[in-house]
Amino acid sequence: MPSAADFNRASSLVIEFRNVGKTYRSLLGNSVKAVEEFSLQVIEGEILGIAGPNGAGKTTLIAMMLGYLRPTTGTVEINGLPARTYVERNGIGYLSELIAIHPKWRAETALVRYATLAGIPNAEIPRRVNEVIDRLGLAEHRDKKVKALSKGNLQRLGLAQALLRDEQILVLDEPTHGLDPVWTQRFRDIVADLRRPDRTILIASHNLDELQRLADRVAIIDHGRLQRLVSTGYEQSAPAVTRFRLTLAAGYDRIRESFPHAEDAGRGEYDVTVRSIQELNTALTDLISRGALVASVVPERSVLEQQFREAVGESQ
Amino acid sequence: MSRGRLGRYSLWQFRDFVIDRAIAILIIGVLWGYVLIAPLRTAMGPRLALNPSSPAWPLVIMVASSIVSLSVLIALNGIVSNDRKTGYYRFLFSKPVSAVLYYAQLFLVHMVGVVAAMLVLSAILHTIVPDFRIVNFLLYSALIYIAMGGIGFFLSVATRYDWLTLAAVWLGSYVLRDAYGAKPGLPGKLVQLLPPVHRLTDVANGMISYGSATVSDVVWLLGYGVVFFALGLLLLRQGSLAD
Repeated sequence: MPSAADFNRASSLVIEFRNVGKTYRSLLGNSVKAVEEFSLQVIEGEILGIAGPNGAGKTTLIAMMLGYLRPTTGTVEINGLPARTYVERNGIGYLSELIAIHPKWRAETALVRYATLAGIPNAEIPRRVNEVIDRLGLAEHRDKKVKALSKGNLQRLGLAQALLRDEQILVLDEPTHGLDPVWTQRFRDIVADLRRPDRTILIASHNLDELQRLADRVAIIDHGRLQRLVSTGYEQSAPAVTRFRLTLAAGYDRIRESFPHAEDAGRGEYDVTVRSIQELNTALTDLISRGALVASVVPERSVLEQQFREAVGESQ
Repeated sequence: MSRGRLGRYSLWQFRDFVIDRAIAILIIGVLWGYVLIAPLRTAMGPRLALNPSSPAWPLVIMVASSIVSLSVLIALNGIVSNDRKTGYYRFLFSKPVSAVLYYAQLFLVHMVGVVAAMLVLSAILHTIVPDFRIVNFLLYSALIYIAMGGIGFFLSVATRYDWLTLAAVWLGSYVLRDAYGAKPGLPGKLVQLLPPVHRLTDVANGMISYGSATVSDVVWLLGYGVVFFALGLLLLRQGSLAD
């Protein structure tokens, strides 16, 4: 995971949004600001999450990053090139929120077409297509037409086309939307496998738990503006006051000796409030030394969730 | 690099044209031709001894030229706008491919497809009307594809309702030129900016019947199409792929 110092290294800068704004104007003269004064730098090797409520501007930002939309103000650059120029020269592994593939194409045929466009040599296409089909569990669906695929299988097909080429940049917009719990977990494993020092991954998601697990930093966006940039590691950004739920397997009567204000939630579970991770660990060590058995310690809200609530609340 | 992979992808584009458009063009062409030619066959027998000087020859020209116009309309329908309406552009252009080159190639692939479809239809017509010259007809088809298709391409980049606007521009130009073309003053001058559709009848008759046409008419039609095709590419380059 990149350290705080890494985020300041200009040499490894990959993606840069510089004062980006996007305003949609209708023919009648009405205008809607989708993104305003958005600046952000993404470094090599980083997994950056993008979180925000519906209509916050996430998809617009991604569209500008891929060069599908031109910013009204500011610039988006990838490796020093205008976004569209970079994509035309190098390509980006992209999974869009809406999977739009011609409904009459068969799953395997769709992948062969995309592999051809991606510039994979003809002789290599069958191997690459088979690899992603196996990786995404699409073997039994390879001959089905796209219109016959379930939402989850279509999502996997979308992810498969994004992984066809060994791209330096991956952009995944709501990647687990429509996936069942098994494939949601597998997706997380796939992303973990994709992490590489020279690869940058952007994940836009409503699922804060997913971003907390996968991302190094999360950009919280609302009303088209960057509200906060949150590091997901506890040691870097532990909030001042956090509630945890402790589950004890033994030594219930010892809890208030170490956590005087613990609230009994029943069935051996207690809610405790601490001001820092250090305070939590000191109290837990004390509790264990008194003979209690701690089964689990779970934050009531993740760091990200807490920051998200504050950031989105503040912007309302 | 980009051209190499796009070149390979042209086979997929041609396959899509055959499945999605060429079959429709052939069915409509055969039916439309049958409806108009059948009465002549009833009157004159199965092999029509028609030639460019026959009184009924203009009917053959009318059938052939209207099929070409209809085919171009089918071929250009949604050529760019469809990918934007459906969102197909997202996966296509996340690959290392220039949208400008992709659609320029698609325009050429559809031209090959239209000419191939016209080859089939004109071969059928040739068996009924032996004096009907296939090569002349194919040259006319290519000319109309560029003239009308260039405008259609531009409209497909600029608007979601390309087939409707193309039909409106093409047919509207006939109406406006007919109404104001000979009148003095500003309206008469302004209609001169419209596509030179008023020259089509002469061009169709000359090219299909004799394989020749007035050079200025051909240049005017071709130039109009090429300019709008280039404007379409420029708009594609400068504008946004997403809505």
